[in-house]
Order: sequence, then structure tokens, then C-alpha cells
Amino acid sequence: MPYNIAMVSDFFFPQPGGVESHIYQLSSKLIDRGHKVIIITHAYAGRTGVRYLTNGLKVYHVPFFVIYRETTFPTVFSFFPIFRNIVIRERIEIVHGHGSLSSFCIEAILHARTMGLRAVFTDHSLFGFADAGSILTNKLLKFALSDVDHVICVSHTCKENTVLRASLDPLMVSVIPNAVVAENFRPLSYSSHRSAPGPPPRISPQDTITVVVISRLFYNKGTDLLIAAIPRILASHPNVCFIIAGSGPKAIDLEQMIERNVLQDRVEMLGPVRHEEVRDVMVRGHIYLHPSLTEAFGTVIVEAASCGLYVVCTRVGGIPEVLPTHMTEFAKPEEDDIVEATGRAIRALRAGKVRTELFHNQVKQMYSWTDVAQRTERVYDGIMGELSHDQFYQGVGVSGAWSATRGRAGMQSFALIERLKRYYGCGIWAGKLFCLCVIVDYLLYVCLEMFAPRSRIDICRNWPTKDIRDGKEKDPGLPKDDKERKETNARRVDSHYHDHD
Amino acid sequence: MLFSAPVPPTLTTFAPTPSTISFTVSTRPLSSTLPAKLSNRLSLVLKALLGILAIVALFTKYRLQTSKSTALLSFVLGCTLEHKLCAALRDVSWKYVLPSAVAVLYLVIHRGYTEESLLALRSLGLQTRTSSRTYLTPATTRFIPMTSIQDIFIHEAFKGFEVRFYLAVVVRGEEDVVVVFPKLMPRREVLEEVWRGARACLYEGAEEGKGG
Repeated sequence: MPYNIAMVSDFFFPQPGGVESHIYQLSSKLIDRGHKVIIITHAYAGRTGVRYLTNGLKVYHVPFFVIYRETTFPTVFSFFPIFRNIVIRERIEIVHGHGSLSSFCIEAILHARTMGLRAVFTDHSLFGFADAGSILTNKLLKFALSDVDHVICVSHTCKENTVLRASLDPLMVSVIPNAVVAENFRPLSYSSHRSAPGPPPRISPQDTITVVVISRLFYNKGTDLLIAAIPRILASHPNVCFIIAGSGPKAIDLEQMIERNVLQDRVEMLGPVRHEEVRDVMVRGHIYLHPSLTEAFGTVIVEAASCGLYVVCTRVGGIPEVLPTHMTEFAKPEEDDIVEATGRAIRALRAGKVRTELFHNQVKQMYSWTDVAQRTERVYDGIMGELSHDQFYQGVGVSGAWSATRGRAGMQSFALIERLKRYYGCGIWAGKLFCLCVIVDYLLYVCLEMFAPRSRIDICRNWPTKDIRDGKEKDPGLPKDDKERKETNARRVDSHYHDHD
Repeated sequence: MLFSAPVPPTLTTFAPTPSTISFTVSTRPLSSTLPAKLSNRLSLVLKALLGILAIVALFTKYRLQTSKSTALLSFVLGCTLEHKLCAALRDVSWKYVLPSAVAVLYLVIHRGYTEESLLALRSLGLQTRTSSRTYLTPATTRFIPMTSIQDIFIHEAFKGFEVRFYLAVVVRGEEDVVVVFPKLMPRREVLEEVWRGARACLYEGAEEGKGG
């Protein structure tokens, strides 16, 4: 059954990143499966208003902080009128938020539940529990997830983290990993037709092995480990060189290290690279080094493996779940172990023990966005009641019978009193504050229904969808203006988006 | 306005020849029945009378103030009426006469409705028109010649707390599009009708050639 889905997040193109491309890829695959998907994000410089991307994906860039006549409202509620308008005109049934640091997403989930819509949340990141910032974020997350229908995490580690942070019932959290567009990450010598694998390539001790590092140079990405490890790796292995791409506050430390050790001819710093250039950088190397200190999923190591690189990475967060062991060499997140693991990887490549040329096809079979879209669709089916409780939760927490999970997992009631109960449990003070927020939100909703009634909101026409089987347009009554609109908008759509077709 | 107006504007289409079509959206209430038409006329007459009265009152007060003769009034209105008017106005001070006269004049010349129109003429171009707020000031019109019209399309934009549909004309060599009906922002159905009509009128030959 096709649904109308709104993806809400602060993070979307033109800003590059993992969450952004996740939303884009998932949305376009869901559209391919016959759903209607729109994206709600805030306005970026030079990117405002309503836009169409490839495949009829509609993006609302909400001009958020500038409100008519410079009136400012408390941020929690100021988004509601526009959000309600968009939801009604697009006939949205499911609101899907992305990214726990996105205030847009958290607000949208609250408003969606107030309006009686189903809400799903996808968490893309891991957080700590100890520092003040984390405590605040976790409280906020708990608020947002008190009343949500289902949560999706990108890895099992991420699920564990989210369940603990937001005190969720693990049953209502699914794990759906990220994927990569394998076609965009082909190794250098890749032929599409399959041939029997020949003998493993050996890299003789005279040939240079190139280690590639592509990451933003931040503390949490383990740049300090990298700075400490590079001189030691290069000292113990001749004929090895490094290519480092990315920018960030730690770039200066990295440059100092290169100059101190006079490694200019063996370490190449490329600076920031665009996402579509990542593959061209990757195929120049043999080993991909990923020294991250925390990572929920680590899409980049999948991309590296897809390019036929042997991956050396730290055993943190969700990384151990991502790739099978024959593609990776794990290290503890400390200097000695990274040097050791890189040494092992170099020796393995020189001995010809690793079949890196087979990685691409293996990754292609493991990760595809179509599969991600299918599994996400199943979550939608579950929360919309299309799948029965037993089917969706596979017999755990039997419906009808008493179980600890009842009231959390499964169909969430929209009754205000039920929702308030859920929020009240958030904490002694926070619970009351959250209840207050929910009540104000509800009153605002009632006011909006009175002063901006639904009858005055125009319903949007859907993008004409093609039935793949018979190639006929489903909606013959659609005016040509959609076609024309596409043409006028094609100019505005960046080439950036076309890369992912 | 943060939200759309409660009274939706009405659309009137007028096509005197196949190559000319004019679309008018207006918030003026439609008067089709006889009593409605009569009351409409009556209110116009009433408005005119009120306006004249306000001007006369101001004039008389000015003449009385400067102790000049009000013979002109007696010539127009007759002696008894002039005396009554003078007597009434002599006691009332300026601070009451002036504001009330200005208020009455404002109400009289204020147009209570907004009217916007799009006129399409084949092989000539488009003309957009937005009525002014008063009866005295002229309407804002803009003519876009056929040669500089690149496209006409319907799109959506954020306005206040809403997302609204709008009809826009892309003009060659201009940074911004020209929005048709910028004040009233009619509903999608109305815009689609106007869009179809205007395109049919402007490009009918070309459209047939393309195969529609």
C-alpha cells in the first residue's frame, strides 16, 4: 500500500554528509516503490522555497528563522503552522525524522503526533552519557521519542545506544543499516562481466602500497591517532605512502607532523574533496585506514571496500558490524595497535592473502538502497497496522496478552491523555515541562484548525508516476504544467543530485 | 496576512474574441439578483452624497472661521438650509469637524475590495493589473510583450505561515519572475484555469504544432 511520507531533517543537500545522502537515497528508492515522499528541511543560502529533485522528489526549504514581520515565537512551536500546512496539502500519513541533533526533526515528531500522524525516527549517531552536552541531548531525545511509533537505527550498537539514551522498549527499535551506491564506487580495473577469479594479485616489496585516509579531520574521527601513527608506520615500512583527504581543525596538526618528520614526499594532503570525487581518490590506494574514535555506522569504509581497498579500522561503535572480517583488519583505538594493524595489512597484501578484487561484488550484494527501502517499508506497514502486531514483532509481546512492552511497542494511541502519560514519565521536572509543551502544542493545533481551517488549504497534485510494468502514466488527467515545471526547475537542480541517479 | 483570507476571490472570465481573454479575480461580492444590484447602486449613491456632504461641511466651516460670506451655499442649497448648516457648524469646533470629515472622505474613496486581472492577447502579450486601494489612484498595470515572455507556470512558495500556489510569468532578461495576482493569491483550481486559458490563447497554434 503506498504511503505519503514526509522526511524531516535539518540536514539535507546542498550540505554534504552521510545523513543527507541517506535521506536522498532512501527517498528516491521509496518513490521507486510507489510511495510519495517529500523532504522538509530548512532554507540554505541560495536554496529556498519549494524544489523538485530527480524522480519528482519534492523538497520544502522552510525559511525558518525569519518569520513574517520579524515576529519571533518560541522555537518549539513556531514551526507548527507551516508544518501543518505542508502536511495537509501533501496529505502526509507518516512523518519520518532523521538525526537526533536536528531540532526540526524533534519538533516535527511532536507536531505530527499532535496532528494524529504516525511518526518514525532514524538515529544516525552515537552519543555519550557523561558530559553535560550529552545529558541535555539525551533528555531532548527522550522527549522526542516518548511518543513515537517506531525508531530505526543504522547499526546494532547504535540501537543499544539509542535504547539506553531514550529509555525505549528495544522492540520498537529496528536496525536498518546504511547502504552505498556500489556503481559509484567501482575499483579501477572493474569489468561488469563476471570471469573466474585468477590468482590473487601480489604486491612485491618494491611496489609502493598507498594508504588512503578520507575523513573530516576532527577529534572524534581519530585524527590524533593518525598523527601519532603515520611516522611510525612509514619508519617501519619502506615503499608505503599516504594520501589524506578532508579538512577540519586538526589539519594544521597533521601538517606540522609532516614537516617535523620531513614526510612531504610520502604523505600527500589533498584538502577537502567532494563526495563524487571520493571514489577517484580511493582507487589510488590499496589500504583504507579509518582511525575513528566513535562511529554509528561508517559508510565510508563500505565505500572503500567497494572500491577494492583493504580496510584497517578501529573496533568502535557500529564498525565491527559493517564489513565481514576478511575485508578488514581491526585495531583497538590506540596508537600502538593501529601501527600494528596497518603493518599486518601491508604484510597480508604483499603476501597476496587478500582478494581485494572480489570486494566490489561482495559489497554490492550486501548493501543496496533498494533493500533499505524495502525494510523501511516494512516498518511503515507495521506502524500503519498493515502488518499485524504478531507479524511485525515476530510473536514477541503478543497483542492482547499482558506484556511489559504493551503501551510502548505497537500501535500508539493518539489520545491526549495517553500521550501525556508517556511524556510524564520522562523525569520529575522534565516530565511536567514536557507535558506543558504537549498541551500548548495541542492548544495551538486547535487554534490553527479554527483560524486556518483545512478547507482553505489547497491540496497538491502528485508527481506523475509511471507504472514500470506497462510504462503508462497512472494519472492521465494531470496537466502538462508538471512537465513544464520540471523543465523550468531542471535548471535549478544541481548536478550534485544527478550523480546519484 | 499570515493566513489566507476567509473569503475566497471569485474568477470572472471574459473572452470577446478567440484571440483575447481576460481573467479577473476579485473579492467584490457578486451581485446577480435585482435587490443585490439595487443595494449596490444605492450604496454608491449614498457614498457620493456622504462625500459631498463632508466637503461641504469643511468648506462651510472654513468660510465661517474666516468670517467670509457663505453666499455660494445659499445659491446652491437655498437660504433655509444654509442657515441651518451654518448654525450647526458654528457651535462645533474644528477638532471634531476635521477628523470626522477626513474619516468620511476616507471611507468614501476607499475601495472595499481588491481586483486583479490578467489579459492575454494573442501575438501581442500579457497585461497584469492590480486595483489600487482608493477610487482616486490608478491601478497598477504591467504589459509584457509576447517577445519577452519565456514561460508561464504555476509553482509553490512560502508566504506567511503557508505554502501557496502562484502563477508566474518568466520575462526574458529579468532576474525575477512576474507574479500574476500577487495580492489575492487565488486557489489552485482558479490558477490552473487561468494558466490553461492564457496558454491556449497565447500559444494555440504552436501548441497544436507540438501535438499538445
